[in-house]
Amino acid sequence: MELLIAIGIGLMMAVGVYQVLRRNLIRSAIGLIIISNAIHLLLIYAGAYRGEVAPYTTVGAEAARSDALPQVLVLTAIVIAMGGFAMVLGMIYIFGVRYRTGDMDKVDQLKY
Amino acid sequence: MMPEQTPISHLVVLPVALPLLGIALTLLVRGNRRVQGLLAFGAMFGAFATSCWLLAEVWISGEPVVFHMGGFPGPFGITLVGDLLSGVMVVMSQLVLAMGILYGTGCRDKCAQYPTFYPLFLALGLGLTGSMLTGDVFNLFVFAELVVIAGTVLTAISDDKKGTEAAYKYFYISTFAAMVLLVSCGCLYASYGTLNMADLAERIAQDPDRPLLPVAIVLFLVSMMVKSAVMPFHFWQPDFHTAAPTPVHAVLSSVVVKLGIYGFLRMTTLLFVHEAETVQTSLVVLGAIGAVFGGLGAAGTYDAKRMLAYSTLGQLGFIVIAVGWNTPLSLAAAIIFAFNHSLIKAAMLMLAGAVGSRAPVKTAEFARIVGLGRTVPVAGLLFVIGGMALAGLPPTNGFISKLAVFRSGLEIGEYAPLIFLAVASLVSLIYVSRAFQLIWLRPIPEGVEPKKQGDLLIAPLVLVSLCLLLGLWAQPLVQLGHDTATWMLEGREEYIRAVLEARDQLFETWQPPGQEP
Repeated sequence: MELLIAIGIGLMMAVGVYQVLRRNLIRSAIGLIIISNAIHLLLIYAGAYRGEVAPYTTVGAEAARSDALPQVLVLTAIVIAMGGFAMVLGMIYIFGVRYRTGDMDKVDQLKY
Repeated sequence: MMPEQTPISHLVVLPVALPLLGIALTLLVRGNRRVQGLLAFGAMFGAFATSCWLLAEVWISGEPVVFHMGGFPGPFGITLVGDLLSGVMVVMSQLVLAMGILYGTGCRDKCAQYPTFYPLFLALGLGLTGSMLTGDVFNLFVFAELVVIAGTVLTAISDDKKGTEAAYKYFYISTFAAMVLLVSCGCLYASYGTLNMADLAERIAQDPDRPLLPVAIVLFLVSMMVKSAVMPFHFWQPDFHTAAPTPVHAVLSSVVVKLGIYGFLRMTTLLFVHEAETVQTSLVVLGAIGAVFGGLGAAGTYDAKRMLAYSTLGQLGFIVIAVGWNTPLSLAAAIIFAFNHSLIKAAMLMLAGAVGSRAPVKTAEFARIVGLGRTVPVAGLLFVIGGMALAGLPPTNGFISKLAVFRSGLEIGEYAPLIFLAVASLVSLIYVSRAFQLIWLRPIPEGVEPKKQGDLLIAPLVLVSLCLLLGLWAQPLVQLGHDTATWMLEGREEYIRAVLEARDQLFETWQPPGQEP
């Protein structure tokens, strides 16, 4: 199970990086959110890989419990990633208005 | 049991809480720009005053001030720690941030009139202060992300049409840096089960052979390098800083990049002391390359603000090398250099922006502002003093900081990096004098109508006077630098003890529930 999750996180990371490297602005924004989700999963499994049941529960009290702290951290990180993603979409909208394109290579006024 | 919180330990909350309060208040009075600007300046200046108080308290008593948020002690809750290093860094940042807001109130940029300009500026200050005062690696990530988001928005609303593009680029790169920091947090948590810096330092010292530790160190180092634009991760910096509005640029290019320097110092003197050697070697090599590269980039550019952004790359090389040498003298030199460079760079950027605001269309390109300095002769005088400081000539504070760096290098016989630094110093003299000659000594070209009104010069005037003052009366700052270096090298155990004191008290008195008599 742990190996499966590790491979899954790696695959998500790969898909995210591939999408970020594409020329389409919206695809790269979606790649960004995929990467951050992969990292959130990694964080959860940093605390939960020894645990079997959820924290703060009375069911199955003998089984090892997951650590609650990484889940709190991930909750914070998800909110931050969401704020950042919203801002990226806002900037892409501005590009749509100003440059009339979704192609990264055409947003090139900064070429000095 | 609640840990004992003396009234003085609440002092460390104020520099973070006052900008936060300022954000709320400035949003309430968004109808009136003048009141909003004054309120924002008041909040930031108040925060600066409290951080000065904090620094004085820490400096005199020699003990760090620790505050346990919500009464949860030590590694179980979030702690705010004000020791000498964070104290110096916060005083430096908030001084420049307050001056940035003061410049913003007298600035003719259209974006300074937006209702969210001052709240965002205060959010930038809040993030910067918080990340320097926090005692928790994850909190560092949260506050650093606040800096990134506030900085991106402030640049994206810039008058410069390229602002959004530069902000987009910066946001992507900084978000990757933040994610890298998050993975580093995950590695540290998986290996050591804590994220509190003091607790982490203690546990790493006890067991430095965990397999994930090198991964965590490298990722932490990379994220801090992106934050402070050290040589191989610098590519976003000139574009982003040039496109930002002048008051924001002055803050970004002087104090926001110091966040990475703070991170390096925390890494090499608190968190990863056992593996610090590798980090320090890479810092010296990258700093030497960066110093020369930044200098040459500044000499070859065509825009006054871009020139100063490249110059930041070069000057950061000096600080990074001094951090990498890790002797008492060189760490003191790093602190002194960082403090002085913030004042100088902010002042120079404000002057360049003030001249640029006189151009028919606001810009800082040399070709468009040739001779426009003649309309603001006072700025010329200030630019000469600031330029002398940037190039490191006496009697300014730039001379003191360069002297400190060269002395610390000569003491340990590191001649190869010193040659790079000498070349970089020489180049900085060349580009500063070129800019002065182009802007102030050439006649105004025919057909160019300079504007009658430009940005106010109060903030750069204050900063340049401080530069002169710190050059003529350098003793307090030099003393502070040396004390901070001693604290960083010898106060590690004391830092850990001060933060974890409350935890130990808790362990002594704690009873498992249900076993009380």
